[in-house]
Amino acid sequence: MSVLSHTASAHHPVAEPSPFRRPVKIGLIFGAIAVYIAVVGILPLIDARWIVVDVVSLGDAALIAIGLGAGAAVARRRAPTSSGLAPLAAQALLAGAIAGGMLAFLVIAMSLLDLRPIFIALSPMLLETLTFGLGVPLGSVILIVSGAVLGVLGAALSLGPVTIRRPILIGLSFVLVFGVFQELIQIMMQFGELIGDLRETLYTWEGLSLTGAAIIFVLSAGGAYLWTKSLRTQFHDRMAGLSPAQQAHVRTAKIIIGVLLVVLFPILAGPYIGQVMMLVGLYVLMGMGLNLEVGLAGLLDLGFVAFFAVGAYTTALLTADSPHALAAWTAIPSVSYWVAMPIAVFCSVIVGILFGIPVLGVRGDYLAVATMGLGEIVRVIVQSDMAAPLLAGAQGILQIPKPKIGSLELSDPVSLFYLTLVSSAIAAYFAWRLENSRLGRAWMAVRDDEDVAQALGINLVKVKLLAYGLGAAFAGLAGSIFAVMLTSIYPSSFQLLISINVLALIIVGGMGSLPGVVVGAIALVGLPELLREFGEYRYLFYGAALIIMMRIKPEGLWPSVTRQRELRAAAGELEEEEEAQELGAGVETPSFATQGLEK
Amino acid sequence: MALLEIDAIHVFYDNIEALKGVTFSVDTKQIVTLVGANGAGKSTTLRAISGILHPRSGDIRLDGESLSGVAPHEIAALGLMQVPEGRRIFARLTVEENLAMGAFRRRDRQAVAEDKERMMTLFPRLRERQKQVAGTLSGGEQQMVATARALMGRPRVLLMDEPSMGLSPVMVENVFETIRTINEQGVTVLLVEQNALLALSIADYAYVMESGQIVLTGRGKDLLDDEKVQRAYLG
Repeated sequence: MSVLSHTASAHHPVAEPSPFRRPVKIGLIFGAIAVYIAVVGILPLIDARWIVVDVVSLGDAALIAIGLGAGAAVARRRAPTSSGLAPLAAQALLAGAIAGGMLAFLVIAMSLLDLRPIFIALSPMLLETLTFGLGVPLGSVILIVSGAVLGVLGAALSLGPVTIRRPILIGLSFVLVFGVFQELIQIMMQFGELIGDLRETLYTWEGLSLTGAAIIFVLSAGGAYLWTKSLRTQFHDRMAGLSPAQQAHVRTAKIIIGVLLVVLFPILAGPYIGQVMMLVGLYVLMGMGLNLEVGLAGLLDLGFVAFFAVGAYTTALLTADSPHALAAWTAIPSVSYWVAMPIAVFCSVIVGILFGIPVLGVRGDYLAVATMGLGEIVRVIVQSDMAAPLLAGAQGILQIPKPKIGSLELSDPVSLFYLTLVSSAIAAYFAWRLENSRLGRAWMAVRDDEDVAQALGINLVKVKLLAYGLGAAFAGLAGSIFAVMLTSIYPSSFQLLISINVLALIIVGGMGSLPGVVVGAIALVGLPELLREFGEYRYLFYGAALIIMMRIKPEGLWPSVTRQRELRAAAGELEEEEEAQELGAGVETPSFATQGLEK
Repeated sequence: MALLEIDAIHVFYDNIEALKGVTFSVDTKQIVTLVGANGAGKSTTLRAISGILHPRSGDIRLDGESLSGVAPHEIAALGLMQVPEGRRIFARLTVEENLAMGAFRRRDRQAVAEDKERMMTLFPRLRERQKQVAGTLSGGEQQMVATARALMGRPRVLLMDEPSMGLSPVMVENVFETIRTINEQGVTVLLVEQNALLALSIADYAYVMESGQIVLTGRGKDLLDDEKVQRAYLG
């Protein structure tokens, strides 16, 4: 892979201050992405999934997107001095052609060398697909030409007026979503004759039909066009015309609709979606907890899974119908889930505080290592033979009963999802209140500057231990639900990876932001579950997502207010410095000085 | 009895003796300054007073009560508020929120609101920038935020560490003007400063430090005229 890109980059002159330098670079980057997904085997995998049956596969879509992306990147990043569309078109063409050229290079390399022993994914079938079944020479030419065309299209698209660009993008996204998630959507469309007919129009049994894709594109793009063109302003005008009370009603209505959608969705979409949503819910719970620690208090914690385990094990020990349950060998009676859950949360808080004590004085990177060690210690203890008589060791605790409300047993994924949803809602309320409390402010002060926080009278020990304890409460609640979801728990369920996942999701969602936790959990937990065949590549996508986020949107998908400010502040400082350099120091100072002296 | 008494403190960094028996005191409503070259032990003294470093021997007393063994955040609560070296404002919080942090230990909301209003009068510039993120302010404005933040804690002694650092000359004069104003309003100030000329000119009483010891004491004005001081610090 690296060999390929090196050879490819040797083609372009090194120190040429020409307008083509950037397009070449962009083309190489996008080409490298295309080559990479082919080499590691993502491309063949996603190529098996149709978006529009017999027309476009997900693999095709990915390559098309790469071509368009190269063009768009050129258009977006063009120097403000460059003028005229013709040079830009040439640049976009060049970027696209280089991206396509790198794929062509891969194709040629595949045909000449036997790369399979190294890269198992580079099969003859992939070669066949990449050359459109037309043989290597012609296929390579087509790759380069189509790359060039896509580059120009991408640039055109990204420069086009928003009333055109947005509908096209929205239309394409809808087709993509309806195509990729065709199984789930088809399941959802199974009842009702009318809906059944609609389904048959849109779908064949293995994916979207061409007619279906066209209908979806036209409808969504058309809708988006009307919305951008006129409906939106009309809507805003009408909203502005309403009295504040009415506006508040509209807002409430929106929230109610949103809540109804979340509540009804798993019923419509079936148990599988319910299961996925529940998993997302558990991660949201954990994310909110870790967010208190990392996002608000700035205490990096890679041992978070320990609290999740404590919640799960406490619930199991208190409720299970197993020889390891406390009821089986102590005087403690077996309790219902509703009693066990608060106890589990309480135990997690205690463990959280105990966990915090040894790492109180540890800062920064060392904190990450120390907490990771603590988390592993908890797992290893649970797994050990020494603790086996108490905690069942590697065998795990089985037969944890499902929670019951009266005679109703919450046994199916959908009802357990509701349990998670209600718990998350309550937890979110607490998290929100905490964030805006005195304690929340103290956390933020500690995060920003520990020493100054202390000098202002904030008790570091208390505040930090509270962060660990309260953060742990959320994980304990999640663990408690996790135990009844699986009805049996094993130490192997509580790996370091869970801590890393939770941390990743709050980073992607936006540190310190509550809605960000939800967005991050959907993106990093929900989506990979839905695209299960990519499970193998899950952590590859995680890594890529994290890197891309840090490069493009470091504040996260849904950043918190302070975080946005911080980044804006950084940009502001930069401007100020530049200003100072340009104007010479002291231009602003006299005005301040006089003002100060006036008093 | 002085408000703040530093009584023969010895402070060590591992085995290196940073303070070799420093003794001085700060009287109520005075400006007392600690001047000296870099590394003389000025900041170490401040850190000992604020409870971050513990003297191996000697004592620090506020109003006659020993501060030894009192945690740093409790010392702040007792009324020793700091304007730290390099300002160290909360860069991503707004000016207002920074001031609120200064009043973290206070529960008297009404009085806190009044104090905030007083700060806005003292620093009109901050009133304009109340809602602005503190990190975007100029150095001088950040110094105002740090000062106002400390004042929001109603300090019995305001500990200022190198307030002139990194500011333009005009701004530095302004900072000292402010210190004088604050003092006239009744706040006791302990000022640690490398800029001896300015510090001595506003101080009621001054102590000159050298290698962890106090080598000269006297009224600010007197030291300003002292030949030795002039040669050593004022060039």
